[in-house]
Amino acid sequence: MNASPLVELERVSRQFETPGGTVTAVNDVSLVVRPAEIVCLVGESGCGKTTTGRLLTGLARPSAGRVLFEGRDVWHTRGAEFSRFRRAVQIVHQDPYASLNPTRSVFQTLSAPLERHRLARGSDTQRRVIELLKLVDLTPPEDYLGKYPHQLSGGQRQRVSIARALTVEPRFIVADEAVSMVDVSIRISLLNVLIRLRDQLGMSCVLITHDLAVARYFGRQGRIGVMYLGRLVEVGETERLVADPAHPYTAALIAAIPEADPLLTRGKTRVPLRSAEVPSLLHLPAGCSFHPRCPRFEAGLCDIVVPELVAVPEREVACHVAVRERAGLVTAGR
Amino acid sequence: MSILAVEHLSIAYQTRRGAVQAVRDVSFDLDQAETLAIIGESGSGKTTLAQSLVRLSPRSATVTNGRILYRPPDGPQVDVRSLDEGRLRRYRWQGCALVFQSALNAFNPVLTIRDHFADTARAHGMGDFREQATELLDMVSLDARRVLPAFPHELSGGMRQRVLIALGLLLAPQILILDEPTTALDILTQRQVIDLLRTLKERLGFALVFISHDLSLAAELADRVITMYAGRIVETATVADLFYRPRHPYSLGLLRAVPRVSGALGNLDSIPGSPPDLIRLPPGCTYHARCPFGVDDCLKAEPPLLDVDTPAHRAACIRWQDVADAVGSFEPAAVGV
Repeated sequence: MNASPLVELERVSRQFETPGGTVTAVNDVSLVVRPAEIVCLVGESGCGKTTTGRLLTGLARPSAGRVLFEGRDVWHTRGAEFSRFRRAVQIVHQDPYASLNPTRSVFQTLSAPLERHRLARGSDTQRRVIELLKLVDLTPPEDYLGKYPHQLSGGQRQRVSIARALTVEPRFIVADEAVSMVDVSIRISLLNVLIRLRDQLGMSCVLITHDLAVARYFGRQGRIGVMYLGRLVEVGETERLVADPAHPYTAALIAAIPEADPLLTRGKTRVPLRSAEVPSLLHLPAGCSFHPRCPRFEAGLCDIVVPELVAVPEREVACHVAVRERAGLVTAGR
Repeated sequence: MSILAVEHLSIAYQTRRGAVQAVRDVSFDLDQAETLAIIGESGSGKTTLAQSLVRLSPRSATVTNGRILYRPPDGPQVDVRSLDEGRLRRYRWQGCALVFQSALNAFNPVLTIRDHFADTARAHGMGDFREQATELLDMVSLDARRVLPAFPHELSGGMRQRVLIALGLLLAPQILILDEPTTALDILTQRQVIDLLRTLKERLGFALVFISHDLSLAAELADRVITMYAGRIVETATVADLFYRPRHPYSLGLLRAVPRVSGALGNLDSIPGSPPDLIRLPPGCTYHARCPFGVDDCLKAEPPLLDVDTPAHRAACIRWQDVADAVGSFEPAAVGV
C-alpha cells in the first residue's frame, strides 16, 4: 500500500449548471488509487460516483481541485503528456447495448484503436485481437471476430467492451456499473475477468456500483469508498468496512440491503432513519448533508459544521460522531 | 384454498423468424393471502406470464393453451381467458391488479396523481375515491395533500413506486401482481418498499405475486418461490426449501451466483453459457448445455416436474437427488445454514 499513487483526486469538486441552479455533483473529494489497487465506489443515484469516475479518467474537468497522474496535474499538461494519461486510463461503460457501435464487427471494434495508436498492424493486429479476446474469456476467439454486437449476449458484449479498453494497454480501468445490466447468473464471471486482469497485468481498477454486495466481492482485496450527495463519507478496507461500518450512512445501507438468504435477511437489525427523504442537490442541508436523516444526529454540531474526511484507525470517515468515537476522544457529553 | 389456478398455460410471440415460446406449459396455484415470488433471468418468461394473468399481453403474444382460473371468495370460478369486456374490467383491479415495471412509464405524464386515481375510480364505477386514496397513500407513507396534486415527474422514483402500489390497491383487489417492484430503486428506498409491502399485506390480506430477477427480494417477502427457465417452471418450493435445499441445478446456480454483504462471502460462481434460443429449443432439458449435473439421459426428453423431498417441493430435473447430495456435502456458503 506504500507505492506512490497512480491517479489521485486532490480536493476535487465538479459543478454543473442546471435550470434550477448550480449543482455540485462532486464536492471536495480526495482519493488515491495506487498501482494494481482495487477500489470500489458505492452510493445511491445522484451521489456523484459516475462523475467521480469521469474525473478519474479525464473525461470531466474539475471545477476545483487537482487530478494527478503519477504526481502531475493532468489538466496542466500539454498535448503529448495529456494523451499519455488518457491512454493509461480507460473506462468501461454501464450499458453494453449502447457503448458498442452496432455496425462494427468485434474485429473492427478491437483493431481500430490498435491501429489508430500504432500498437499493431497487419497480421500483428489479428494476433493481438485474438489475445485480447482470450483475456476476456471469449473463446474460441476465432468464433467472435466476425460477430456484430446484436449477435452477442449482454455479457459477451460487456467482455468486448473490456477487451476494447485493454487495446491501449491501460494501467487503470474505471468500470462504471459494468455488471448491473447483465444477468445475475453471469455477473461473477465478468467481475472475475477484471480481477484476473489486475492480477495478470497489474492494472488498477475502480469499480463504480450501487450494489454493496458486488463491491464486497470485487473489492475483497481492496478498498471501498462510500459516497453520499457528492461527498466521500467513508473509505476503508473492504471486509472491515462491511463488517464494521463507521459512518451512520454506511451502517444504514448495510442494514437495509436485502440478502439472498431468508433467515439472514429477515433477521437483520434495521438502522432507523429520521427521514426517508433524500435532499435535493440544489438545496443541500447545512453542515453534514446526511444530518436530516441521521440517527446519530447531534444538534448544534452536525447541522452547522461540514465534517471533513478524517483518518481514524482502519478508516477514513466524514462524521463528527464517528470520528470522536473512533479516535477515542469521547467527551463528557456522551 | 387457491384463489388463482394456472393450468398448462403456454404463450408464444409471433416473429419473422418463427414463434418465440415464451411461456411453456406453466401450472401453479396461488393461495389466498399467499406471497409467491417468480424468479428467473431476462427471457425466462416471467413478465409474459404476469401480463397474461390480467390479459394485458402485447398484441404479438398468443395464448396457445391453458386456463387461468380465478376463484373469488364470494362467487363462482371463472376462466380469465374467456371473460367478456365488462367482467374482465371487474376482474382487473377488483380481482387482480398488476403494477408494471418501471414506475415512470406506467403513468400518463400529463395527468396529476389525482387524475390517475379519478380515472381508475371512474372506470370501475367507484364513486368518491378521495377518502380511500388518502388512506392508501397514508399506508404507503405518502402525504395525500402533497402527492395528489403532483405530476408524476415531480415525484422521486421511490414515491412513484409507492403511488403505483396505492393505486393498484384502490379497488381492494384479491391479488396484487408486481413486476420487478424494487428494480432501479436505491437501496434505502428498496428497503422502504419491501417493509411497506409486508405491512400492507398484513393489514389488507391480499395475495401477492411478484416477478423479480432479484433473489434477495424473494428471500425477504416470499412464502413460496417459483424458478422459471426458458419459459418453464423448473422448480417450485417454500422459500426455505428453495434457498437452503434447492433441487434444480439452475436454482442452485442462481443462488451461488449472488454475493452477500453480511456473513461469509463463500464460494461464488457464475453459470456458464447463456439461455437457449426460444424459437429453436434444444432437445431434452433446456438447461443441459449449462448444467454441471448434465448426463446423456437429459437430452432424451424435457424432464417433467417431479416431487422431491416433500409434496410441496417439485423440480424438473432427473438428477435432483445428485443435486441434493451436492448441496448436502459441499454446503456452498450461499446455500448452507
